[in-house]
Amino acid sequence: MTTASWAWLVLLFPLLGSMVIAFGFRRLPDRTAGIIGSTAIGLAFIAGIGTLLGLLSEPSESRHVASSLWEYAGVGDLRVDLGIFVDPLAVFMVLVVTGVSFLIHVYSTAYMESDQGYSRFFSYLNFFVFSMLLLVLAGNFVLLIIGWAFVGFASYALISFWYRRTTATAAGMKAFVINVVGDIGLVLAAILIFRELGVLDYEAVFDAAPKVFSTDQWTVVAICLLLLVGAFAKSAQLPFHTWLADAMEGPTPVSSLIHAATMVTAGVYLVARTWPLFELAPAAANVAAIVGVVTLLVAGTIALVVTDLKRIIAYSTMSQIGYMFLAVGIGAYSAGMFHLMTHAFFKALLFMAAGSIIAVMANDQNIDRMRGLGKALPFTAAMLVIGSLALSGFPFTSGWFSKDEILDFALYRGGWYTILAIAGYVGAFMTALYAFRIVFRILPGRPCPEAEELIETGHVAHGEAVNPANGQPEDYEVGYPGKEHHIAEQSPGMRFGMLPLGVLALIAGFLQVPGVTEVVTKFLEPTFEGSSLAAIHPPVSKAWLGLLNGGVIAVVGIAFAWVFWVRRPAIPGSLRQKFHPLYELFVHKWYFDELIHAVIVRPVLAFGDFCNRVVEPFVVGGIVTGTTSLVRSAGALVRDLQSGMIRAYASLMVVGAIAVVLFLLLRGG
Amino acid sequence: MTFQPPEIDYWALSPVIALVFGLALTVVLAVAGRLARIAPAAAILSMVVAGGLLIGQWGESKDVIGGTLELDGLSITFSLLILLAGIVAVLFSLGDPAAREAGRPDFLALLLGSVLGMVLLTQANNLVTFFIALELFSIPLYALCGTDLRREDSLESGLKYLIIGSLGSATLLFGMAFVYGASGATGFEQIADGLSSSDLLGDPIILTGVGLVTVGLAFKVSLAPFHQWTPDVYQGAPTAVTAFMAVATKLAGFAVFARFFLTALEPLADEWDVILAAIAAISIVVGNLGAISQDSLKRMLGYSGIAQAGYMVGGIVVASTEGVEALSFYLAAYLALNLGTFAVLVVREQRDGSDDSIESLRGIGRRDRALAWPITIGMLGLIGLPPTVGFLGKLYLITALVDGGWTWLGILIVLGSMASLAYYLRVVGTVWSGETESPGHAPGPSSRLLGLIVGVGIVFAVLSIGFGILPDPLYDFAAQAGEAIGSLPG
Amino acid sequence: MSIEWYLVLAALLFAIGAGGILVRRNPVVILLCLELMLSAGALAILSFSRMLGDGDGQVFVLIVLVVAACEVVVGLGLVVAMFRRRIPLDVDETTELRG
Repeated sequence: MTTASWAWLVLLFPLLGSMVIAFGFRRLPDRTAGIIGSTAIGLAFIAGIGTLLGLLSEPSESRHVASSLWEYAGVGDLRVDLGIFVDPLAVFMVLVVTGVSFLIHVYSTAYMESDQGYSRFFSYLNFFVFSMLLLVLAGNFVLLIIGWAFVGFASYALISFWYRRTTATAAGMKAFVINVVGDIGLVLAAILIFRELGVLDYEAVFDAAPKVFSTDQWTVVAICLLLLVGAFAKSAQLPFHTWLADAMEGPTPVSSLIHAATMVTAGVYLVARTWPLFELAPAAANVAAIVGVVTLLVAGTIALVVTDLKRIIAYSTMSQIGYMFLAVGIGAYSAGMFHLMTHAFFKALLFMAAGSIIAVMANDQNIDRMRGLGKALPFTAAMLVIGSLALSGFPFTSGWFSKDEILDFALYRGGWYTILAIAGYVGAFMTALYAFRIVFRILPGRPCPEAEELIETGHVAHGEAVNPANGQPEDYEVGYPGKEHHIAEQSPGMRFGMLPLGVLALIAGFLQVPGVTEVVTKFLEPTFEGSSLAAIHPPVSKAWLGLLNGGVIAVVGIAFAWVFWVRRPAIPGSLRQKFHPLYELFVHKWYFDELIHAVIVRPVLAFGDFCNRVVEPFVVGGIVTGTTSLVRSAGALVRDLQSGMIRAYASLMVVGAIAVVLFLLLRGG
Repeated sequence: MTFQPPEIDYWALSPVIALVFGLALTVVLAVAGRLARIAPAAAILSMVVAGGLLIGQWGESKDVIGGTLELDGLSITFSLLILLAGIVAVLFSLGDPAAREAGRPDFLALLLGSVLGMVLLTQANNLVTFFIALELFSIPLYALCGTDLRREDSLESGLKYLIIGSLGSATLLFGMAFVYGASGATGFEQIADGLSSSDLLGDPIILTGVGLVTVGLAFKVSLAPFHQWTPDVYQGAPTAVTAFMAVATKLAGFAVFARFFLTALEPLADEWDVILAAIAAISIVVGNLGAISQDSLKRMLGYSGIAQAGYMVGGIVVASTEGVEALSFYLAAYLALNLGTFAVLVVREQRDGSDDSIESLRGIGRRDRALAWPITIGMLGLIGLPPTVGFLGKLYLITALVDGGWTWLGILIVLGSMASLAYYLRVVGTVWSGETESPGHAPGPSSRLLGLIVGVGIVFAVLSIGFGILPDPLYDFAAQAGEAIGSLPG
Repeated sequence: MSIEWYLVLAALLFAIGAGGILVRRNPVVILLCLELMLSAGALAILSFSRMLGDGDGQVFVLIVLVVAACEVVVGLGLVVAMFRRRIPLDVDETTELRG
C-alpha cells in the first residue's frame, strides 16, 4: 500500500462512518452508532499510522507525496484537482486528530448514552473528523476551503446539537457567522493567490511564490493577512473570538474535541502550512505573533474572573492558541505544532473531567457552588489535576516542554520579540493561577450538597430540567443529556477515553527534550525545509534556562493560587473590590460582545430591515411589476393596431414595403 | 426555329403527377353522387402515393422539367412534411360540418390543390414556377378559409386573406419583374450568375426587386410588419384549415425562401441579411406581445406563429448550411407540436361542441388525459422547454445564429421564448386547473374517427418528446435539406 | 426604344392600384385594383423581356394573366357569398375579427 493510499483511507473511514450512521440509523440496533463511529475513527488512526510508516520509509528529502483522484474543476486557466498532499506536517496533524478523536469517541459512547440524539451525534462527530482531516490533507487551496467550510458546518451542527435550547442555537449561529467572516478572508486570499500566481496547488504555489513576490510586497502581505482573518476566526483569536465561549453550549465531548483539540487549531495549521508565504511577508507574520500574544493576555485575564467552569477552560484554550500563533508567527513552527499536540492532550482531558463534574452538579456549571468534589470524584479529580499541571507548565509535564520551547525561541530571536516573550511569561503566570483556581476551589473543602449525595448514595443528582442561563425548561426529546447523567467513576468508557490522555499529558513532553530527543522537530524538518526561520534554534543551554524560568513561574503561580483560594480565601474578594473597574472589564470579557453588537450587529439588522421595508417593495417589486406592466401595455398596443380593417392592414403593409425598399436602397446605393 | 420540348424527368415528376390525379379524381367525384363518399380516401391515397414516390427518390438531386423544378433534399424533406400536414388536415376535416356543407369533395379538391401548389413551390427553381406554385397554393386557401358557411367570421377571413394575400402576391410579382430585369434570367441559378457577373451591387433596380420579393414572401409566412392578416384569418377559418395553414404555409414559404435567397440572391447576401434580421426581430417582438391576453386559442396560435416565423427566418439570415438545417429541424418540430395541439382543438370542437376559447379547455386535465397531455406537450414544446423537440430546435437555430455572427438575434430568440411563457403557460394552467364544464354534444362524427384524431394528437406528442430526447433521426432528416443548398459556407 | 417609360408606367399603375386598395371600400373595386397591380407587374416583366430580348418574360406574362383571372374568380365568389348573406359590401364593416 502506498503512502497515498493510506492517506485516502484516512479520509474514507470517517466519511463512511458518518454516512452509514446517517442513512442506516433507523435500521441499526440501538447503540451501534457509537461503536460504528468509534471504529471508524480507530481505523482512521491505524491508516494514519500506515501513512506515517509509508512516509518514513522515504528518504527525508522526498517526504512529500501529492496524490489526486480526479480533476475537480477545469475552467479557463484554473485547474483544480481532488488532490491531497501528504507530508510530515499533514501526517502529524492526522495522527493527533485521529488519536484524540478516537479517545473522545469512546468517551462519548458512555457520556451521551442516555441522549435521545445519540446516533445523530456520532454521525455529526464522524463528519467533523472527516472534514478536519480533509482540511489537513488537502493539497490545494480549493480543497482546503472546502474542508474549512465543512468543519465550520460540523461545528455549527454540534454546538446547536440540543436544538431546542435557544441559547444553544444562538451560539451555533454566532459561531457560524464569525466563521463565515473567516471563510471570506480565506476565499479572498485564494483568489489573490490565483490572480498573482495562476495556480492553487500547494506545491506549485510555494514554488512560485518566492519567484514572483518580493519580501513584504503588498500583495503577498495582503494574502497573508487574509489568511490570518480566516485563521483567527477559526481559532478564536481577537477580534474574532467571541464565539468560542458561547460554543460551550454544546455537549462536553464536542467542546473537548472541536473547541480544544482540533478545529480551533486549524488556524495554526494553516499558518504553518503556508509558511513560504508568511516568510515572504514578515509584516503579516508579525501581526500573527502580536495578535496571538494579545489574545493570550486578554483571555488569561478573563479566565481569572469568570465563574462558569467550561467557559474558564474555553478562555484557557483561546489563550493557549495565542501561544501557538506566537510560535508560528515567529517561525518556531515545530514548537508551535508540539504545543498544539500537548495542548490537545491536556485540554481534551480537562474538558472530559469537566464533563463528570458538571454531571455531578446536575448540569450546574458555576464553580462557586462546587466544593469538595475531590472526595466524591477521585478519578476525575486526579485527571483534573494532571491536566491543570500540564496546562500550567509544571516541570516535566508535557505542557512545560512545549510552552517554554515557544518562549525560548521568542527570547532567542531577540529584538522586540523579547517583549512578546515577556508577555508570554506573564501569561504563563496567569495560566497557572486560573488553572489552579479551579482545582483549589472545587476539589478540597467540605463537599457541597450534590457531592454529598454522590458520596453517600452513589447517586448522581438530578437537577430540574431548566436552562440556567434563561430559565427555559429543557427538552429531553431533543437530547439534552437525558435524565441520566454519567460520570467517569461509574463509566468504564469514559475512563478509557481519559486515561491515555492523562498519561500522555504527563509524558508526551519527553518527545522534545532540548538537546536530547527533539523527535518532533526532526520529524517536521522536511516540511519546513528552506525556511530561514525554522533553522534558527536556540542553543541547548539557553533552552534549559528558559525551561527553568518557565518552571519557576508555574510553581509560583500555583503557590499564589494556593494562597488565594485555600489559605486566605478572603484575598480574592478584597482584590476584586480594590480593582473593581478592572474586575468589571475582565468579567464582561473586555466588552467585546457589546462592541460587536453595537458596531456590527445593530447596523446589519437595521440594513436588513431597510431592505425589507424599502428595497423589497419598491425596487424589486417595482422592477418586476414594471416589466410586466410594460409588456402588458405593449401587448395592448399590438392588439389595438389589429383593428380588423382591411384597409388598415393594407396601409401598414405598404408602409412596411416602402421601408424595406428604402432601407435596401439607402444602404446598398 | 423549331420548338424544343424541355427535358422532363417523369420519374422525378411522379409525385406531382400523383397529386394531380388525386385532384382530378376529387373534382370528378364532386359530381358523382353516391361515389363522393370515397373522396377522402382518394385524397389521402394520392398524398400517400406522392409521399412514397418522394421517399423512393430520397437522397437524389435532379432537375425535373428543364431546370424549372428541382427535386433535391430540400424539396423532398419539405414536401414530405407538407404531405403529412395535408393528410392530417383531411382527417381533421372529416368530422367538420363545414367541410360537409361545402361539399366534401370540393373541399378536398381545394385542399389537394393547395398541397399540390406547396409541393411544387418546394421544387421551384425558376421565377415562373415560383409564381405559379405560390398562387396555386394560395388561391384554394382563400376559398378554404371561407367555407364555414355557418359563421360570418369565416367569410370575413377568406376575404381578408384574399385581399391582403393578393396584395402580397402583386408586390412579389413586381419584385420578380425587377429581379428578372436586373439579372437577365428567370432560372435561379442563372439569376445568381447574372447578378455576380455584372457589377450590380447598388443598382436600384435589383435592390428594389429584392425588397419587394422580401415583402411578398414575408407576407406569405406571416412575418411582421406584414402579419396583420394572420390572427384574423386563423381565428375565422375552420379549424382543420387553420391547422393546415399554420403549418404548411410556413413549410412551403420557407422552402422557397431558402431556395430563392440562398441560390438566386446569394451574391447579394450582404445586402439582404440585415433587413431579414430586422424583420425577424420585429416579428418576434410583435408576435409574442400580441399573443398575450388573447382569449381565442386559434388567434393566439396565429400570433405565436408570427413569432415562430421570426425565429425561423434566423435560419435564412445566416446564409449557411447550418442555418438551413436548423430551419428544417425547427419546422419539423413546429409541425409536430402544432398538429398535436390542433388535434386536441378539433376533438373538442367536434365531439364536445366547444368553441376555440382558452377558457373552454379548463379542467380537461382531470377529465380527459388523452387530450390534456398532447396540448400540454405542444405548449411546452412551442415555448422551447427541454425535453421537447422544440427546445432542440431553438438550440440549433441559436447555435447557427451565433456561429454565423448574429448573436444578438439568438439572444432575441431567447428573450422571445421567455416572453412566450406568459401565454403558452396560461393554456397549460387552464388545462390542469379547475373544473371542466360538462361537454355539450355536437352531432356528427363517429367516435372511431374522433379516436383516430386523438390518436394522432398522442402520436405527435410522443414524437415531440421522443425527438426531444433522441433527435438524431430527425436531425439527419433535416440535414438533407441543408445539403441541397450547395455552395454555402458552414 | 428605351424601356424606362414603360417601367415608369408600370410603377405608376402599381402605385395607383395600391392606393386604390387603401382608399376604396367596395370589395369589387378592391379586386379591380388588385388586377391593376398584377397587370403593372406583367407590364414590367414584358418591358424587361423586350430589353433583354428574352422569351421567358413573355411566357411569364401569359401565365400571370391566367393566374390573375383565377384569383379574381375566387374573389368574386367570396363577394357573392357575402352579398347573399346580406353582409354589407364594405370592407370597413367586416371587422368581426380583430384585437
